[in-house]
Amino acid sequence: MNRQIRLLGLGIMVLFVALFIQLNYLQIVHAKALEANPLNSRAVVQEYTAKRGDIVSADGITLAASVPTADQFKYLREYPTGALFEQVTGYFSFIYGSDGAERSYDKVLTGSQSPFKLPTSLSGLRNLLTNRDQSQSIILTVLDKLQTVAEQQLAGRTGTVVALNPQTGAILAMYSNPTFDPNLISGHDLTKVQANYKALTRIPGGVFAPGGYEQRWFPGSTFKVITASAVYDRQPALAAKTYPTLGALALPDTINRLHNFGGEVCGGQLPELFTVSCDTGFGQIGLDLGASALASEAGSFGFDQTPPIDLPFAVQSSFPSASSFTQDLPGLAYSAIGQQDVQATPLEMAMVAGAIADGGKMMTPHILDRVTNSQNQVVSTYQPKVWQQATSPATAAQMTTLMLSVVNSPQGTGVLARIPGVAVAAKTGTAQTGTGKIDAWFIAFAPAVDPTIAVAVLLPNQPSQDEYQGGTLSAPIAKAVIQAYLSSGAAPAHLAAAP
Amino acid sequence: MTRAPARRRTELGLIFLVVILTGGLYALAGFGKAGDLPADMGPFLGIIFALLLVGHVAMRRLAPNADPILLPTAGLLNGIGYVFIARLSTHEARLQAVWTAVGMAAFVATLALVRRARDLERYRYTFAFLGIGLLLLPLVPGVGENINGARLWVHLGSLNFQPGEIAKLALAVFFSSALVERADLLSKATRRVGRFLVLDPRYLAPILAAWGLSLVIFLAENDLGSSFLFFALFIGLLWVSTGRTYYLGLGAGLFAIGSYLALNVIGHAQSRVQAWLNPWAHPSTSGYQIIQGEFAIAAGGLFGEGPGQSNASHIPEASTDLIFAVIADELGLMGAAAMLFAYLLMVGTGLRIAVRCERQFEKLLATGLSLILGVQTFVIVGGVTRLIPLTGVTLPFVSYGGSSLVANYILLAVLLRISHDTETPRPTDQIPELYGTGAASL
Repeated sequence: MNRQIRLLGLGIMVLFVALFIQLNYLQIVHAKALEANPLNSRAVVQEYTAKRGDIVSADGITLAASVPTADQFKYLREYPTGALFEQVTGYFSFIYGSDGAERSYDKVLTGSQSPFKLPTSLSGLRNLLTNRDQSQSIILTVLDKLQTVAEQQLAGRTGTVVALNPQTGAILAMYSNPTFDPNLISGHDLTKVQANYKALTRIPGGVFAPGGYEQRWFPGSTFKVITASAVYDRQPALAAKTYPTLGALALPDTINRLHNFGGEVCGGQLPELFTVSCDTGFGQIGLDLGASALASEAGSFGFDQTPPIDLPFAVQSSFPSASSFTQDLPGLAYSAIGQQDVQATPLEMAMVAGAIADGGKMMTPHILDRVTNSQNQVVSTYQPKVWQQATSPATAAQMTTLMLSVVNSPQGTGVLARIPGVAVAAKTGTAQTGTGKIDAWFIAFAPAVDPTIAVAVLLPNQPSQDEYQGGTLSAPIAKAVIQAYLSSGAAPAHLAAAP
Repeated sequence: MTRAPARRRTELGLIFLVVILTGGLYALAGFGKAGDLPADMGPFLGIIFALLLVGHVAMRRLAPNADPILLPTAGLLNGIGYVFIARLSTHEARLQAVWTAVGMAAFVATLALVRRARDLERYRYTFAFLGIGLLLLPLVPGVGENINGARLWVHLGSLNFQPGEIAKLALAVFFSSALVERADLLSKATRRVGRFLVLDPRYLAPILAAWGLSLVIFLAENDLGSSFLFFALFIGLLWVSTGRTYYLGLGAGLFAIGSYLALNVIGHAQSRVQAWLNPWAHPSTSGYQIIQGEFAIAAGGLFGEGPGQSNASHIPEASTDLIFAVIADELGLMGAAAMLFAYLLMVGTGLRIAVRCERQFEKLLATGLSLILGVQTFVIVGGVTRLIPLTGVTLPFVSYGGSSLVANYILLAVLLRISHDTETPRPTDQIPELYGTGAASL
């Protein structure tokens, strides 16, 4: 019997050796292939299940929070403010990935930005043994109060409001229609999420491309801020030149003429042309300046560069290259008034207003104010940075005077933005889209001395009625936003403070 | 008698080691899961130490000469199992703690009641009826319950119990005694069929009947893992007791026939085999469990993700059938291999007890019990690692489940009782000069 028992022992040992070999195969030899298997959602789920901190508005409203769940995803990402902040916070979806701050600050929110470090302390050792709550919260510069004003002012119309602090680059409001409630695609019922997503993709206007920084339009007359700056920066003599009073400007190499909007007749020197937004005058200024002067001025104001905002997928605003005008001088005249192939995002135009407001400095736009850990201690604070010098302080001062007259002069196109007791500097824009519709723009900053807010408002595709629609449609919105920001305690001291 | 205290001292030392190891693992799992020590760290250490100490004291009084390795190893596996169950479900952990206490009580009771292993031999038919009765119990309407397509549960009030676990032990006792009685007859070919000498089937009949009946019951309850285990036990014991390799051939043949029938008659078996051969054909239904288990094991790699640090919510039946996948995920190849080694150590120790045994019945019983432990571990670990089809048997001492834990502690007690009997010199022994050189036969 003992012989059989020993053989039996040997047999069992062989079976266990087989198990050991199989374990080696699964855990070492075949492990990479199994990890890469498309059916293996462990890595994706692990990434998705990492605890994320909250996203909070500058005025303390929770915009995104993770709620513990009993399912395999562990946390449900919830957006208490719904659609209001979608284009800032973005979304965090198992199927559709993430966007907005959820995307750009993903590693900050999960606290996973530091890779493996050998523990040097007891708490370091603790971190090595745990992969849980290293989450961090981010507090944004965006104000719930201002965002709400923007939403109410747009009143459901397609359009965009971007407001920023010109001295720091902090985004104060960035709201666009159409938008959507990110809760629709952050849920854990994946079938429902897919159905919701499908429905969202059918909404015209593209809800997944935030109007503030992922879509471009003709800036129209708001571009005259850059054209006028180019005069002071590159050919100051033109500022004293008197342009003829015309209804239409004869253009080189063509029988076509550049017409003022609605057959209006205008002319005079630069301040006068700017105040009434004279297209014929600015068309001629563009020709007088020349392609390279205008193109480089646009470049120094941030055109043809991706804005360094801390949000994903921000698009460049574009101005044609100087060489493209050698065979197309009429195009140069049209470009000087923000038409033809000039395209800008509302963010860019807000930054243009901000640059004039801040003595020619273009600050790096940002939505992050500070990061806190799970114990609510501040881990880091955003330090404002200059992105580039758009123009000289002297030019900025000249431009401020011009922009003030747009609001304050009786002939100004932006009179509707007047605020009692506050000097508002602005420029209107009524861009023709070529389909009989216009894009109504308004860019502004206030107060004129030591400005704390710069705004861009865009209402695209409005039925064309008159020349002043930027002033009539968009100016009141900008006014309301500026008023809301300046009138109340909406601006926390740290945001208003100069760097 | 001078060896006895030394063995028990070894045991006590190993128990301390087990408490340290499981306590450390529990702490790490707490850190991994919640970033802090488990709140019940103190009670955990206290209870695990107290339970093992109860077993140890019982051993000192009731089986002082028995092997010192089995109890601490079982305690270690039990402790690791508890840590992983607690890491998966607090509710199940609480029940498992109660069942561990019941298991330890059963361990002590078995040692106390079975004062000599050979006494069991006298009750062989009682055990036979007990075993078959327990196997039949789940089929009784109103008592039995289907869980996951297998009817092997009995509920008493709110408690679920798998009587098959205890039945295995009862039948091991019956087989051992019945085979010992007939060993001579079974090992001598007495009939000639053509050119071959074969056994007289008359002697085999009662055993074959018992085996056939139990097998039918197992299959009726859809418990494929247990029926294989049971089959292996029977054939193994037949071979060991008679020494005839002939029976291994017979076993292989019967296994082939049984498998063929099972595949063609039982849908449950067929889907299990298909899920084994190609789980990728139905990755979200029949293959889901196996695939998720494999993904988990692969994620473990060499050193594992760390106790408490994996997302085990992908894995169905994580605390019972697939607990080994969770362990392999979090402890890696190192931890999983160490666990296999612990089982091998227990099986080897059991077989060593069998070898040292002089009396046939105890020898066969010790072999049978060790075989149960080894084969059951192989069946479930092999199933989880897709070496063989996955069937729902428990991982001894580790899986969540009361009946399994209690049965395994009883198994352990019987093995230790046999060990003690063997190592204790008896005045009735006629060959005292052989005693003490027994090790040489190893």
